[in-house]
Amino acid sequence: MPMKLKRSETDEQLKIERIMYARQYSLTLDKRRCVVCELCEIVCPREAIQVVKPAEGEETTSPRLEIDVELCQYCGICNAICPFGALELKIDGEKVVPVVKFESFPQLIREIEIDDEKCPVGCTVCVDACPLKLITVKVVDDEGREVEDAELYPDEERLRVTVELDKEYCPVCRVCEYKCPYDAIHTQKVIYGHIRVDTDLCPEGCRECVDACPIPEVLQLSEDGKVVVNDLFCVYCGACRVVCPVEGAISLERTVIRHTPVHSGAWNKALEKLTSTKDMTKELRSRAVIKVKESVERRLA
Amino acid sequence: MSEEEPRIGVFVCHCGLNIAGVIDVEEVTNYAKTLPNVVYAVHNRYTCSDPGQDEIRKGIKEYNLNRVVVAACSPRLHEPTFRRCVAEAGLNPYLFEMANIREFSSWCHPSTPEEATEKAKEIVRMAVAKARLLNPLKPLEVPVTQKALVLGGGIAGINAALDLAEMGFKVYLVEKKESIGGHMAQLDKTFPTLDCSICIEGPRMVDVARHPNVEIISYADLLSVEGYVGNFKVKVRKNPRYVIADNCTGCGECRDVCPIEFPNEWDMNMGVRRAIDIPFAQAVPLIYTINRDHCIECYKCVDACGARQAIDFSQEPEEIELEVGAIIVATGYDIYVPEEGNLYGYGRYSNVITGLEFERLILAAGPTGGHVVRASDGRRPRSVALIQCVGSRDVNKYEYCSGFCCMYTLKHAIQLKEHYGREVEVYVFYMDMRSNFKGYEEFYRRAREMGVTFIRGRVSRVIEDPKTKNLIVRVEDIALGEPIEVEVELVVLATAALPSKGSDEISRILNISRGADGFFMESHPKLKPIDTPVDGIFLAGACQGPKDIPYSVSQGCGAAARAATILSKKTWKIEPIVAVVDPSRCRNVKAKCGICAAKCPYGAIRAPQGQPAQVITAMCHGCGTCAAECPADAITQMHFTDAQIFAQIRAALQENPEDKILGFLCNWCSYAGADLAGTSRFEYPPTLRPIRVMCSGRVDRDFVLEAFRLGAGMVLVAACHLPYDCHYISGNWRMKERMEVLARMLTKLGLSPERFRVDYISAAEGVKFAELITEMTEKLKELGRERIMAENQKLKPVLDRMLSRKKRT
Repeated sequence: MPMKLKRSETDEQLKIERIMYARQYSLTLDKRRCVVCELCEIVCPREAIQVVKPAEGEETTSPRLEIDVELCQYCGICNAICPFGALELKIDGEKVVPVVKFESFPQLIREIEIDDEKCPVGCTVCVDACPLKLITVKVVDDEGREVEDAELYPDEERLRVTVELDKEYCPVCRVCEYKCPYDAIHTQKVIYGHIRVDTDLCPEGCRECVDACPIPEVLQLSEDGKVVVNDLFCVYCGACRVVCPVEGAISLERTVIRHTPVHSGAWNKALEKLTSTKDMTKELRSRAVIKVKESVERRLA
Repeated sequence: MSEEEPRIGVFVCHCGLNIAGVIDVEEVTNYAKTLPNVVYAVHNRYTCSDPGQDEIRKGIKEYNLNRVVVAACSPRLHEPTFRRCVAEAGLNPYLFEMANIREFSSWCHPSTPEEATEKAKEIVRMAVAKARLLNPLKPLEVPVTQKALVLGGGIAGINAALDLAEMGFKVYLVEKKESIGGHMAQLDKTFPTLDCSICIEGPRMVDVARHPNVEIISYADLLSVEGYVGNFKVKVRKNPRYVIADNCTGCGECRDVCPIEFPNEWDMNMGVRRAIDIPFAQAVPLIYTINRDHCIECYKCVDACGARQAIDFSQEPEEIELEVGAIIVATGYDIYVPEEGNLYGYGRYSNVITGLEFERLILAAGPTGGHVVRASDGRRPRSVALIQCVGSRDVNKYEYCSGFCCMYTLKHAIQLKEHYGREVEVYVFYMDMRSNFKGYEEFYRRAREMGVTFIRGRVSRVIEDPKTKNLIVRVEDIALGEPIEVEVELVVLATAALPSKGSDEISRILNISRGADGFFMESHPKLKPIDTPVDGIFLAGACQGPKDIPYSVSQGCGAAARAATILSKKTWKIEPIVAVVDPSRCRNVKAKCGICAAKCPYGAIRAPQGQPAQVITAMCHGCGTCAAECPADAITQMHFTDAQIFAQIRAALQENPEDKILGFLCNWCSYAGADLAGTSRFEYPPTLRPIRVMCSGRVDRDFVLEAFRLGAGMVLVAACHLPYDCHYISGNWRMKERMEVLARMLTKLGLSPERFRVDYISAAEGVKFAELITEMTEKLKELGRERIMAENQKLKPVLDRMLSRKKRT
């Protein structure tokens, strides 16, 4: 049997496979989670992923992601970088990210702390606030059984609230943190940066970026039809820039990406492309500083 | 001696019945006696045999002969033999001429013996005419570089390199891939002994790598080869491994930290390798290679390598130049991989695999750890069909028999039985079982005794059961005489062996020809099976045709011995058929000419302003293009002078010129193609009168004009195929340019365009040659003598005028 490269697509997913006699690889793009940002396209070392804008005359106007079966080498960099967890790599049916396993690429740090002790029974503000619907709130009794209808439960004292979040798919927009009335959620962004929209360049009546943004609170249309940016919740994915019809109307810069420590040329290159040469060198320098500090400490100890 | 009156002896050969069975040799001999300057003519049974050669030597002595003509077979076969023979009798070897009456007459005109005899007489007449004008020549002696180049590090190349190295010659072993070893290193066991393949080849690989006289240049491409026997200049590009060979210890720590996996071609893409890796554990040289197409540059390997500092991402391709005296080509073969779904469902059904894939499956170090399992479900098959002749012996694919597939299929059958015994049913579907050579038939018997079922018949189709993924093999069982169906769980295809990818480029770089099957052509199928037409270049192993391991090894050793015949000498004699300039006639003295310098394919001519052109003799390959191009007829090609060729033309067209086709055939392709038509006994009409030139580039416009002036019915100039086949790089191109202009002029003068033909025939195209002459003869008849003679009458005065200056010669 010769090696086979396969591509299959449904409304919900795009899957590419490399089937060899003794090993099988698959990379699945979950279209429901993918927001068609630019991150995986930027970091793919083989330029196997591309954001394809719809051709003229096509029904849809929104861009889509295309993965080249011939080029992909199943390294897992796209899987590691996607803040929305839309890409999943499997080798012989098992979820693995080789570049992470071999420490050639970092994992994003999604710092989210939820103190559900503070949560009163009945509050579901965070569930409603989460734009990606990743939070589930449950009420349980002291034996851990879920209580469907808390009002009918005889002893309210024995009830407790648990909050669960699908961390894998969370880009950490911090909306839940700000909406929480009880200060129960503390987060730190994964990607820091700046975003600015030059509304003078915006075409009349255009709201492409507003529609493309996965976090509704970030980009909004004001009464006079101009785009207003709320930097606070932005995850700097760049989905807005992908759809923007005018070059330069949206300026987006990433400055810091929080990730697990790694010493890898592939990451430095990806980082430079995601942020800027300046920010990459900044990280390298800080890493060097840490190294020096560690060695000094070692010596003193 | 040229001043002396020629005394020519003609020796007509019977070649048993090969010539005498068709041609009346007696008549030819008697006719030869009537030719001017012929003082002695005799016929004998085998002129090339000892008594035959004796007769020549005796004739030279007794009749004081100073020219010898042998009318026998092709000069491509026995010219060297007879040259040696006349030299032994004290005659200059270049005072010998051959008349090819076997390949060009008796073998290709068996059903018209009278015409064949007539043609033979004229061929002898042409040879005598040329012989009359022959001059003694002294062979050029060139120094020999006592080093050899072996191209390809498979089992044939390894043995060739080892033998030469043992004889004391320096050998460069150039290998395209990362490791030497070739196909043999991919195999599990070898037939008929069932030795482990890498266990017997591995030590040889190590031997060759350790030998002080051998330098392995692996992961390298051949760029160009210039020069000639004894003095080749070879350019090789070493591709960057991004690992410093001297620093790499082969520990593999870099590999262990590499995150990138890609399909291992060496494993038939069944398993994977890392972006920094070796293709297989026993690789020689044991140096890791980074595949930059796949590397993501995480530099984890650099960390792992640490203080050894073997990894260098800044490496660039490096070009090196080698000087060698002989070259052995051992570039091997490729295995045919059926196109997707084309043959027996390969590619469409997952449980259909090729023989080489099976080797990787059953090999303990293979991607499945030596377990034969199905791709569809990972289960061990309980019944296996081995189908033979997939692609081979198939007129729609590859016509030839790939030779070793019968034996490796038997080996697979026996291996399956040995591994799984009664748990597996093995069926072999074959057309003929070819188990010649030592121990092979016994191996076949062993397979039968082990309970393998042999079914004779060509498989028509393989169909997959979509549920079980089992396969149904449909075949007409010749023993039963009816179609049957066999359901099996795995199908293994014994696919054809193909010329290796890139052999076209190698053939172009080395100027060696390939047969119709694409494999390199030997100089003579029987007597020179290892030589190529180019002196100093030899063939070994499967690059010349599919071969099994013992045959490849013998050829490797044979090629080493052949190369040593050159390398063991300090100097080597090369043919003095070079170009010579007559400074008194060279135009470059008075005007700015330099045409010869511009047209020389080898840049062997210098034409400084105001001085006559000079030929650098050692660089001249003797194509004669310059002689044909020179507007002042100032250049002469030795042994193929204008005067000699004119004499041949006149002798050919002495009688009934309108009925004849005068053909100029280049030695390496067209003449060889015509020889092949003869040896293959393809019959064509006896209208052709052939003149051999070394290269079609030698064919002067004046030769064609003279032929038509004398009333030739047709003129053919036959050359090697464009664009790259020419033995002299571009002689055929020069001829084409020249003849296109000439053809236009002749047509304008009233010549029917069909009467002048330029065609391209390779050494493998015997059929094409026969068809061409048949077709031309039909046209000749169609035109009719009347019309040809009328045209000739009109043309003659014009051509007479054009050729008046030639009268001097």
